Amino acid sequence: MEITSVTVDGFRNLAGTFCVAPGLNVLWGDNGQGKTNWLEAIYLLATTKSFRTGRLQEVIAFGRPAAHLRAEVVRRSTPVTLDLHLEANRKTLFVNGKRAVVGEYLGQLTVFAYGREALDVICGEPGERRRFIDRGILTLKPTYVQTLADYNRVLKQKNALLRAAVESSDRRCWLDSLEDWNVQLVALGTQLHVERAQYATWLNESLDWRMFNAEQITVRYVSALGSDLPATPEAVRTALTEQLARRREAELAVGHALVGPHRDDLAILMDGRDVARFGSAGQQRSALLVLTLGQLALYRARCAEPPVLLLDDLDAELDTGRIAALLEYLQGQAQVVVTTTKPGLVQGPARRQALRAGRFIEAADSARDEPDKPFSGMEMPPCDMPRSWPPS
Amino acid sequence: MAEFAEPIARLIDELKRLPGVGHKSAQRLAFHILRSTPEDAARLASAIAEVKARITFCSVCHNLTDIEHDPCAYCVNPARDRRLLCVVEEPHNVIAIERTGEFHGLYHVLHGVLSPLRGIGPDELRIRSLLERLRSLDITEVILATNPTTEGEATANYIGRLLKPIGVRVTRLALGLPVGGDLEYADEVTLHKALAYRREL
Repeated sequence: MEITSVTVDGFRNLAGTFCVAPGLNVLWGDNGQGKTNWLEAIYLLATTKSFRTGRLQEVIAFGRPAAHLRAEVVRRSTPVTLDLHLEANRKTLFVNGKRAVVGEYLGQLTVFAYGREALDVICGEPGERRRFIDRGILTLKPTYVQTLADYNRVLKQKNALLRAAVESSDRRCWLDSLEDWNVQLVALGTQLHVERAQYATWLNESLDWRMFNAEQITVRYVSALGSDLPATPEAVRTALTEQLARRREAELAVGHALVGPHRDDLAILMDGRDVARFGSAGQQRSALLVLTLGQLALYRARCAEPPVLLLDDLDAELDTGRIAALLEYLQGQAQVVVTTTKPGLVQGPARRQALRAGRFIEAADSARDEPDKPFSGMEMPPCDMPRSWPPS
Repeated sequence: MAEFAEPIARLIDELKRLPGVGHKSAQRLAFHILRSTPEDAARLASAIAEVKARITFCSVCHNLTDIEHDPCAYCVNPARDRRLLCVVEEPHNVIAIERTGEFHGLYHVLHGVLSPLRGIGPDELRIRSLLERLRSLDITEVILATNPTTEGEATANYIGRLLKPIGVRVTRLALGLPVGGDLEYADEVTLHKALAYRREL
């Protein structure tokens, strides 16, 4: 798939249309000019989430009631228009102008992102790594979103029940129905566990850590149910049921759910040792990049189309040699958008566009044979003007 | 800020409390009422007053009924099959099932589903009276027609467990494809359920 253009209105400090070239795109400009915001807009359009904030109202421009984002995408040689409308806490999704549920919407555009925010996957809480796996599964299987939502719902309900049982005088009445939430927790939790363990295995097989001549990176799904548990539905179901029975009293004592895949983690190892604890800052960044490229390779192997890769603040994260190696590797693998403060950093054919205060000020397509004049001030290539909003 | 005269501002405020009505819709409705004849407005007012004064819950099945007809029309109708009982979440679910013309048994309205997040446990639902009804009636099958949500599933599961020792047949509405649809257009989640709950031919 390929993005041809992204148009935003009322989103952070951005305005106008970003015409995206196939292949490599370079967004450059000084700090604070909105480079990362454009990547965030693309990421939001693809995943319906921001990589910066969990509270989406923050992305609406100050003083504006709503934000509207649109991507024109070509998928299996067919144009698709994606619209995402944000108003206060409401998020509305459209595919080709028609309202779509999130499960339908998510399969349309697949984006992977690498940047400072994503480093939480390595150094943050286990929840960040669970989200990382879940996002990866969603790129392969958009309907997983329902399993995930249902599991989280059951978990919230169960926690509320346990809290009520702890606080209320009428314990028995609440505990009567605990079993009925546990039944669903086991069913959905088993699906989650099996999907995640499978994805971790696939990802591990897709990691190409030799690219940077780096240490060996491996990942492994770590279940709170035990490390030697085979990831088959039967085994997981049995183990979950057994643990729930065994830890029932403990759950009642603390007042929240202690058993289930919401306690699991993804181990990210460098030569067999935990990257978060033993890796240097540079090694942690390489590990994250290897993971992101692994996700991309896995997606490429299972889905016919190349995805989109966002690389934020490239020169702050990697040295020149690695950048060249990386961009070389990505040729033909993905449509790439990188941001940088130094446009000369990226050699070779690319569309370079400069940003000031969220707007594009110039654009240049350059071929490999004329690297000396990358910003020749060529005219903006024509793109399809956005259709009017709202859709009829 | 500019304010309307007190009576109209109050009407707008009251209308705004209705579900799905924002400030602009409320304003439109209020001005519509203001422009209508006194008779029309009085009819609307009395309809609202009457619904509160005359509608009550059936003492048997907890469906909505006129205060002068308790038990409700379904419960007293001799033509209905008294061996079948359909358990639903809300009164409007009764209407949905009735429209199928397929079910001729009795109903039982729970008035909600289990939801600890909203403080609703088994005691907040009309479950005790369901058990009493099963004891006094000669029911052979209970159909659990709660919604296919996590809350609906938990509620159905809970009631199913309670009824097991009574020895009555307990069934759950099937999950699956919409009728007359094309497989291609079914969302994957529904299709997945339809596969999981496929039936023998």
